[in-house]
Order: sequence, then C-alpha cells, then structure tokens
Amino acid sequence: MKPLFPIAVITFKEGIRNRAIYGISIIALLMLVVNFLISQMIMREVGKVAVDIALSTVSFSGLLLVFFVGINLMAKDLDRKTIYMVLARPISRAQYMVGKFLGMVGLIVVSNVILGGFAAASLFMLSRMYATYFQRFSWPMVVLALAFIMLMLILLSALSFLFASFTSTSFIALVLTIVTYLIGNSINDVKALVEAPQAVGITPSPVTVKVVQIAYYLFPNLSFFDIKSQAAHGLALSSAYVCWTVIYGLVYTCLVIAIACLVFSRREFP
Amino acid sequence: MQTMIQLEHISKAFKEGIGSRRVQALQDLSLEIGAGEVFGFLGPNGAGKSTAIKILINLIFPDSGRALIAGKNAEDRDVRRIVGYLPENPYFYDYLTAEELLWFGGRASGMEKSEIRERTDLLLTKVNLDHARKRPLRTYSKGMVQRAGLALALIHDPQVVILDEPMSGLDPIGRKMVGDIILELKEAGKTVFFSSHILSDVERFCDRVGIIVGGKLRLVENLETLLAGGATLEDAFLQEVARAGQKEVM
Repeated sequence: MKPLFPIAVITFKEGIRNRAIYGISIIALLMLVVNFLISQMIMREVGKVAVDIALSTVSFSGLLLVFFVGINLMAKDLDRKTIYMVLARPISRAQYMVGKFLGMVGLIVVSNVILGGFAAASLFMLSRMYATYFQRFSWPMVVLALAFIMLMLILLSALSFLFASFTSTSFIALVLTIVTYLIGNSINDVKALVEAPQAVGITPSPVTVKVVQIAYYLFPNLSFFDIKSQAAHGLALSSAYVCWTVIYGLVYTCLVIAIACLVFSRREFP
Repeated sequence: MQTMIQLEHISKAFKEGIGSRRVQALQDLSLEIGAGEVFGFLGPNGAGKSTAIKILINLIFPDSGRALIAGKNAEDRDVRRIVGYLPENPYFYDYLTAEELLWFGGRASGMEKSEIRERTDLLLTKVNLDHARKRPLRTYSKGMVQRAGLALALIHDPQVVILDEPMSGLDPIGRKMVGDIILELKEAGKTVFFSSHILSDVERFCDRVGIIVGGKLRLVENLETLLAGGATLEDAFLQEVARAGQKEVM
C-alpha cells in the first residue's frame, strides 16, 4: 500500500493549488458575511437562521469542490493522459484509484475544516451579538452537522470517482454525480410520498412505487447526513442514529470505491 | 546476451467508434531486445509504434500474445521498478513543480528521500531545468515539459528505458541533449527502446532498428548491416514502407 501516499500527496497538492479553490473560498466567505446582514434584517429566530445559513454555506461550497475540482482531478488525468506517468510506476490501477481518492478526501477534510472554522466564527460572533436568540444553540450539534456534511461530500466524491472510472469525458461524470446528488437528497421524501399517497391525495402506479423503492436501495440516502434543521433548532440526535449514519456513510463509500477499482482495473488507456 | 524486452506474437485491435468495426493496430508482432542494446523503433504515423510501447507499460492489454520485461510479464506492476517510460507528448500536473514531479516518481518507485534528492539534482541539471525546478509545470514550454518527462523517466535509474518519440517538440539543442542522454545510458549498459520519426537521430545511436508499417513488423536489422554498402536509413525505411504498401494492394 506504499504507493498510495505519493499519489494522495500529488492529488492533494494539485487540488489545493487549483484556482477554483480560491473562487469557492471567496463565495463561502461572502456568504458568511451575508449571514450577518440577513440576521440583522430579520431579527426573529436569528439563532436558527444563522446556523442554517452557516451550515448551508459549508455544504454548498463543499459541493462545488466535489463537482468542479474533484471530478477534474480524476477526469483530467484521463483526458490529458497524465495517468501514463502514474501507471508507468509500480502502481496498479486500483492503487491509483484509491490513492487519488485519498488525496480528494484530504482536500475535502482540509477545506471543510477551514470553511467550518469560518462558519463557527460567524456563529460565535452572532451568538455574542444576539445572545437571546441563541439560548437553544448547541455547539456539539453544529460540529456534528459539519462532520456529517464532510461524510456526505466524501461519499459523493466516491460516486464521482466511480462515474469517472467508466465514462470517457468529465462532463458525463459531472452530470451523473449531480443527478445522483439530487436523487440521493430527495429519495427519502419521495419514497415516503409514494408509500403513503393518501396523505397528499395522489395515486401513484404500482410501477412508480417499485421504481422508487428500487432507487431507494440503489442510490445513497443523502438526507441521512442533513441534520441542519436539528442543529438550527438545537435538537439532540440519538447516539444510535449518529453511529448508524457514520457506518452507513463509510460502508457505502468503501463499496463504491471497491466497485470503481474493479471497473478501473480492466480499463485501457490508448 | 540476456533478453530484456520480449514481445511474443502480439496482436491488438481497437474498436473504431460505437460501431463494431475494429482496426488492427498490431498483427502478430514478435521482437526481442537484449540487455544493453539501443533499439530504434521506426514507422510512419499510425503504424503501431505507440501501441506496442503502451502494451509494454501495461497501459493497454494485448488481444493475444504476451509482453515480457526481464522475463516477467508486463502486467506485473513490479516490473515497472526497472522501467523508465517517457510518453509521446507527455502531459503532467499543471500545479506541480518539476521537483515535486520527480519526488512523486521516486517515491512511487520506492526510493529513499536522500536518493531522490540526489538524483533530482543530477537529472534536473542534466536536462537543463535546474533554474526552473520550483516553477509549476504549467509555465513550462513544450520542450521543457518533454525534458522534465525525461528526467521523470530516469529518476529511479531504470535498467530499461522506453521512450516514445523523445525528440518530438524539441529544438536542436534539446535534441542533442536527449541524444547525449541516450548515449550515456548506452555506456551505462542500460537497455533503450525508443520510437522515432527522426531517422538521423536513429542512425546516431541505435544498435538495431525495427521498421513497423501497418501494425506488422517488416524488418529488424543491425544498423551496420543495414547501412553496409553506402545505403542510408532513409532509403531502407522508404523501401520497406513502399513494399508494405504494395503488399496491401496485392
């Protein structure tokens, strides 16, 4: 497993020096500044709104990172044949895939820690300015929500690597990743809807119900990782939920990367 | 003489587009190159030179036949500890520096830090990139990238050096530098396998040449034998290409 380290290091360096990172950071910082303005404008439930905006900012910039930096890290290697210089070393295709993914995980962790730090700073200042609205505010929940965002981004990034392992252009991998993200976020609600249609007065066909049920087990359930509203309302989560979500995220990620390795190990690079 | 590179009855076809039409890139290619030999692989564009080289590096897999390096199957990744490879028109990471590129090559090949530092200094001086070692590769000219690629191919002091069009994109000074490096490798007893269009370069440092046209190896000969009687390599090359063309017509 020795070759994983150098691949992860160059992937991380290549990613962190990408100019897109600056753009993403600037957007994130602007949104956190906007957090102050919005909180001043509404003057109701400032604590909840501020937490929601701060966490959404971190999550949104993380998504941009996965979509526009992460996918390119892998796809550019294939497009521009940079992969030749890696595979010309005593490195297998599976090791390349895992090393590259570890570099991307490093990138997600570092950017999340930095953006999360800014988000926490903005929340800290707002909680000092509007202490009355922050009575139910809980730091552990905010930290947990940030950790879950990170886990979701890692899982999504694993999926983008899987898509890049069999598609020929980065654009297709990007589209597939975005579609998976959208499905993964809404599948929980859609399943609940088609399984209890009487609540909203619709009658879905049995085929639709079956398709949604299959999709539910096939696509990652990303809504598990979204605990923004719990964090905003200062609600506690059961330790079982936390444990199962972490296990779910890690197992899903490992499975996806294992499949990506399998697909990639027979791929040719003419 | 120990055989270092061995291609045994290699055939390879590529699918052309979505349809089922397959283009035969290599047909029953067999070739042996001994240790310490400098072998020039010649052929017109699209003849299959790069395909054969990519099979040796395990970037693509042969449909039939097998490729061996130092007696081991090219699909075994450990083989690449003793192989240095320079791809045609190499492209490296935009935001890495030449120093970091060589660090990667060294570490991935299992070298120690001190050894990497030593070889990096030596090679960057040799390819005349010492002044630009801390600059990101995206600021490099085409020739500079090619030279960085050559340094990367040689970082782990490989026994077998495979160069795909090492002279392309280089100015006369760069070409001379690459030529000198190949001669140095030859003196050090390394096996060099390189493809080229530039026949005068091939004449300068090859022991043997192989001419490939249309995926078939048409001729493998000692350079001395080939050039005996005042013939030039260009004559031999054009003759083989013409002969191959006639065969196709017949």
